[in-house]
Amino acid sequence: MSMDETELLPIRNFLAEIAPFNELSADLLVLCCRRISIGYYSKASKAVPLSSDNPMLYIVRSGAFEVRDADDELVDRLGEGDYFGFPSLLSGESVSNRVLILEDGLVYHLAPAEFDQLRLQCRSFDRFFNRAYAKRLRHERRYRNRETVTTNRISSLINTSLLSVDHRETVIEATRAMRSHHVSSALVLDNGKLCGILTDRDLRNRVLAEGLAGDVPVHQAMTPSPVTIEAKSLVFEAMLLMSEFNIHHLPVIDDGIPIGMVTSTDIIRSQSSQPILLIREIERQQDLPSLIAVSKQIPELLQSLISADARAEEIGRILTSVTDALTRRLIVLNQALLGEAPMAFCWLAFGSQGRQDQVACSDQDNGLLLAEQPDEQAKGYFEALAKGVCSGLNDCGYVFCPGDIMAQNPQWMMSLTQWQQKFAHWVDSPEPKALMHASIFFDMRAVYGPANLFDALQDEVLERTKDNDIFLAALTGNATSESPPLGFFRKFVLERDGSELKGIDLKHRGSALINDIARVYALSAGIKEVNTAKRIKRVIDAGVLNRKDGLNLADALEFIGHMRLANQGQQFEQRRPLSNYLKPQDLSSLMRHQLRDAFKVVHDSQSAIRLKFMRSF
Amino acid sequence: MAGWRHRLGVNYQLWRANGALADYYESLRPILQREHLLHVPLVAIDLEMTGLNAQIDQIISVGLLPIEQQRLQLSGAVHQLVSINGSVGQSATIHGIVDRQLQQDVMSQSEMLLWLLQQTQGKLLIFHHGMLDIAFLSKLCMQVFQRPLHLPIVDTMQLEQRRLLRDRHVIEHGSLRLAACRKRYHLPAYSAHNALMDATACGELFLAQTAFAGWETQPLDDYLFWF
Repeated sequence: MSMDETELLPIRNFLAEIAPFNELSADLLVLCCRRISIGYYSKASKAVPLSSDNPMLYIVRSGAFEVRDADDELVDRLGEGDYFGFPSLLSGESVSNRVLILEDGLVYHLAPAEFDQLRLQCRSFDRFFNRAYAKRLRHERRYRNRETVTTNRISSLINTSLLSVDHRETVIEATRAMRSHHVSSALVLDNGKLCGILTDRDLRNRVLAEGLAGDVPVHQAMTPSPVTIEAKSLVFEAMLLMSEFNIHHLPVIDDGIPIGMVTSTDIIRSQSSQPILLIREIERQQDLPSLIAVSKQIPELLQSLISADARAEEIGRILTSVTDALTRRLIVLNQALLGEAPMAFCWLAFGSQGRQDQVACSDQDNGLLLAEQPDEQAKGYFEALAKGVCSGLNDCGYVFCPGDIMAQNPQWMMSLTQWQQKFAHWVDSPEPKALMHASIFFDMRAVYGPANLFDALQDEVLERTKDNDIFLAALTGNATSESPPLGFFRKFVLERDGSELKGIDLKHRGSALINDIARVYALSAGIKEVNTAKRIKRVIDAGVLNRKDGLNLADALEFIGHMRLANQGQQFEQRRPLSNYLKPQDLSSLMRHQLRDAFKVVHDSQSAIRLKFMRSF
Repeated sequence: MAGWRHRLGVNYQLWRANGALADYYESLRPILQREHLLHVPLVAIDLEMTGLNAQIDQIISVGLLPIEQQRLQLSGAVHQLVSINGSVGQSATIHGIVDRQLQQDVMSQSEMLLWLLQQTQGKLLIFHHGMLDIAFLSKLCMQVFQRPLHLPIVDTMQLEQRRLLRDRHVIEHGSLRLAACRKRYHLPAYSAHNALMDATACGELFLAQTAFAGWETQPLDDYLFWF
């Protein structure tokens, strides 16, 4: 009988590629392979039978699974190379989560004795599951208590202008380099390996205070073997380390290589990127240049929200509230120059700002609603105001609207009566093409100005659209003219590695289609809400859309939005330009499965509105 | 309880057989008394041969993998090499076994047969395309016991063929191969090719084929094929 290590090679190779099994020594890995038992779970049995008496580590080899907690709240979605069962193994507590089977799959099982042995013999194996467990706990608490600072990752903070010096250089040379890089610290390398850090404090305490000259080598002045942190760690952990060791600089290590430095100032700044603080800062600024400076933090805010794994809907709302604050501040600052307005007015936001789903690189869509027909003098006032605000927004990163839908365009600066007539024209004699361009106007919100003026416009518009068969049919025709890229998946299966594929446009063939569907329903029922998620909720409550389909559509909206943001977070980290295209090679089989499901929901919802609103035409 | 055909068949073989082969048939009798798949001791098996002709070619290795509680137990995995008369020749490139390797830890063909009967005693064998493997084993039985090997087994290929025909699929050429069957159940593609890995692949396929319901509800008789 023989059992050499080349047998069961495919199983060993699989384990050797997934963390943390890739950290195990060759001997441990072979041992581990021989202790596994293999099971197969079918969708027909709905859930994996988990027993508290017989806890196991479950390693997903193929298929797709979903972890839900006792309240049926989604905790995690799992695919190839993911794990479940480890919380009970680590805590010894009874199993409270359920694992649902989304797609038939093969699962490897490891018994508690072997799991504990591997943890004992391999520290990084142990650390991996402890972290995964901590993350799970955090995730479960996410809905109760969400704190951006604690979940943010170090990698989102790393200072890119990393300065390193050789340990044999003199202190003078090192400090000159620090001066020209405007940094207060440098990494000290010995043969490319980190051997210390040199900070302002070291120069004071170990050079000047000791009466040494500037020609001593760096290794005499540096702090040797500094405390470091992994790039994947949480900002929260960096804060703990800093306070524990009373230090202000932490070299960041990725795979054993120093890749940057995090300072206590970086951390304080990252906390200030929290939305509330940012909005307060915006409200404090007294002129345009300082508003522009503050708005530089907006991309950082977006990234920290993405890495904190906030819900897509929430990210959209937060970013939009920052845009709203910026718009209001610009109005106030411009009015300080121009004097009081000659009449009541509202600053209208359309499109994504109206819907509160702004993300990166949004352009501006806005207009002015005036209480009365303006005379020449009033016209001059509002033109100057609109120009000031629009160009201010442009300077702050919200570029001018390519379609010129802006308050500074005289066409979109109108009195209440003129706006009402404009909408009446779109609603009462809908031409598909004109309506296509006009659809963003129906997602309107007043960012500034008296509520009753805005209500007077919106109520009248909704009165016209409600149960208006002809208008709704035209709107539905537009909303369903573009279809979700379901065919892409068929093609994708065949051309798995096809580099010619451009990717999936998650905005125009995903989120935008759901916005269109929600708009049709909301206008048909005269619902004032413009945020897509809220529109869906309200049309469910109003009984216009059945609950199951509505919740599915809301889930699809969140999932596609989340994919879009996660994709942009990745693009940002890799310093690529941000886009809405998701490259197929970035998709795991599980994500593909879920994305296909989401697009299927969009497709079905399109069929449903066609049936509901276009049947008689 | 397994069908009368299988019980009668085993009884008949038991009556004609002698020595270790008789013991082996005897050990199968209690299994055939069972109603359902659950609690039936199972072992997935695969043989590697120098070719496809049982009259000329020889067995070069055997892989065994027991199934307990509806799971393949890798702790019980065994890979046994068998010595042959002559050289491994051409097929060495397929199986990755070279002559040198065959020198260590090897058994003769007849030693292997006795070892196999002992290892799998009281267990139901699961093959993929068992007809070929049984032909080779049967030839060995003739040499050692002067009796051919006839027994009920589980055959994942037969199961798959039955399923495809029931669902009115056209059975295309190659669609019953182990890799093709596995693909239909989203099982991973294994590149390495040896008796133990193929036994594992066959065992996983069987788990997939029977995963639609609990084994306590599945009649054993539905899975038996007589060879």
